[in-house]
Amino acid sequence: MASTERKALPLWLKSGRVQTGLVIILILGICAVFAPYLAPNDPNEQDLLAILIPPAWADGGDAMYPLGTDSLGRCVLSRLIFGARVALTVAFTASVGAMLIGAFFAHVAGYFGGWVDWVIGRVVEIWLSFPPVILSLILMVGLGTGLRNVVLAIILVDWTRFCRVLRSEVIVLRRRDYVSAAQLVGFSHWRTITREILPGTLPLLITLMSLEMGVAVIVEAILSFVGMSVGSETPAWGQMIADARQNIYEAPFNLIAPILAIFFAVFGFNILGDGLRRTLDTRLTQTERT
Amino acid sequence: MRMFATIAKLLVKRVLTAIPILLVVSALLFCILRILPVDPAAMSLPPNATLEEIETMRSEMGLDRPLYEQYGIWLNQLLHGNIGRSIHFRQDVTSLIGNTLPATIELAVIAMMVATVFGLAGGLFLFYVRGTRLEAVTDFFSILLLSLPEFLWSLFLLLIFGVFFEVLPFTGRLSPGFERPVVTGFLLLDSLITGNIATFFNALQHMILPCLALGIALSPSLMRVLRSSLLDAYQDDYIHQARLRGLSEKRILVRHGLKNAILPTLSLMGVQFGFLFGGTLLVEIIYSYPGMGNLMVDAIRNADLPIIQGAGLTYCIAVLVISIIVDSLYLILNPKLRVR
Repeated sequence: MASTERKALPLWLKSGRVQTGLVIILILGICAVFAPYLAPNDPNEQDLLAILIPPAWADGGDAMYPLGTDSLGRCVLSRLIFGARVALTVAFTASVGAMLIGAFFAHVAGYFGGWVDWVIGRVVEIWLSFPPVILSLILMVGLGTGLRNVVLAIILVDWTRFCRVLRSEVIVLRRRDYVSAAQLVGFSHWRTITREILPGTLPLLITLMSLEMGVAVIVEAILSFVGMSVGSETPAWGQMIADARQNIYEAPFNLIAPILAIFFAVFGFNILGDGLRRTLDTRLTQTERT
Repeated sequence: MRMFATIAKLLVKRVLTAIPILLVVSALLFCILRILPVDPAAMSLPPNATLEEIETMRSEMGLDRPLYEQYGIWLNQLLHGNIGRSIHFRQDVTSLIGNTLPATIELAVIAMMVATVFGLAGGLFLFYVRGTRLEAVTDFFSILLLSLPEFLWSLFLLLIFGVFFEVLPFTGRLSPGFERPVVTGFLLLDSLITGNIATFFNALQHMILPCLALGIALSPSLMRVLRSSLLDAYQDDYIHQARLRGLSEKRILVRHGLKNAILPTLSLMGVQFGFLFGGTLLVEIIYSYPGMGNLMVDAIRNADLPIIQGAGLTYCIAVLVISIIVDSLYLILNPKLRVR
């Protein structure tokens, strides 16, 4: 029995949700990495003689532009493929950054308690008194546009998501006997946190991170929609939406394509997160099963 | 009586903690926007102004003093109800916000109602199909719904009902030609007060798509929380006991299950309602709806600092007020918290 189990995939990889999520992210990843080879055209090349061409299957479509062109005659499919670069870069870097900061403060607050916890708690409270969209916009005004600043703004807004949820988990784990045992044996605080508490919070942390990637994709799209994200020379899905909105009657498909792309990416991260939550969180699986 | 005393105590406590939060937030807002590489003095003068004129303007605006002193001046004026003049619109920020805030509140409140209806109905449905084969399907759909944020819904609904079927209007608050009564600034309310039924229905039509977009986008998380708190409630003994007493399933659900399960849903709604205020921003832009979100984005595009500061602070106050209201409601509905 034990030997067959060892050969099989780990439990979390068996989940259909996790597999679906990973496949979607893999597809997007391939688009992002191999964008120059996959895209039929240069995403920034303007063809002013061929603006707002419908997709190739519709009347008046052109096989050169499989999904048509935008208001400046740029290839929609190519921009969609290159847009995955910005989306995924932001998703991965921003969620890792927010996770590191949030998890650090959550563990420190939950582990030490007392005034440390109080101070961190108040900081989080101040952060949460801002609607996230507004805060990220204000930060972008202060930081200026550009990929690095988008990532920074999302990190600065979303670290509290990790901090709030993880902190209460740390407080629960901190009361466990094995943590007291580690302290009695003379583990340093740092070692107790990293060796005894962190393994317990890791499942939640990974799940939160996967959900955060979806959030980051949305926030980046919002920022680039209002023109506060990457510069106009880098294709991004939000920009495509903003452009297509101007010509909503002539070329509705230009609007649908980036909407579907964002939805696809966010759905991938969400279903991965949901699958991970179900398989990794032991307490949850117990209650769900009963 | 006791309940009022507890609620009053909570209100006082919450308002007292809100004050330092607002102070810190205003200081942060002030600092973030002062490190900007734009010169408000140069921007508020005509382009042909001389360097000396700009210098005079700078000292008039207090920009040559140290940052903490500038903040002190700004705060002092803020307490006197003066948050400055918009550089771009050449109007008082207070009146600009006063004109747009009611529109945003109207949008957010109706959207929240929509979200509540969808959230409750969906949550009950998810609970109802628990353990059946439908469960996997509904679960999948709720993740699908969770992955569509409000601005994608707005565009989507706009395309379907505004562009393809042309059944609903999708720009602004009123169609041209309708008279706009001004009493409170809340258009729906105003048109009812003045008895202007045609305006009321036209305004209502304009609200349908943005409110649906916001409401639908918020509802899936409400559904999921309601479902899981109902599942939790049904594990408790009182449900079992109610069954033994021979109560109907419907009565058990309404009187025992929902009564307990509604609390976590309510507190999530409170958090979301606060965020909804920011979430309206994109929906307002997409539907050209003249609310605070549009004002904010205009201000950002024009680097109009007084508006950004004023609107930012207003958003923050809105979130705090909502969270205080929700906490009081929570106290009224949850007897466990009242007993001392």
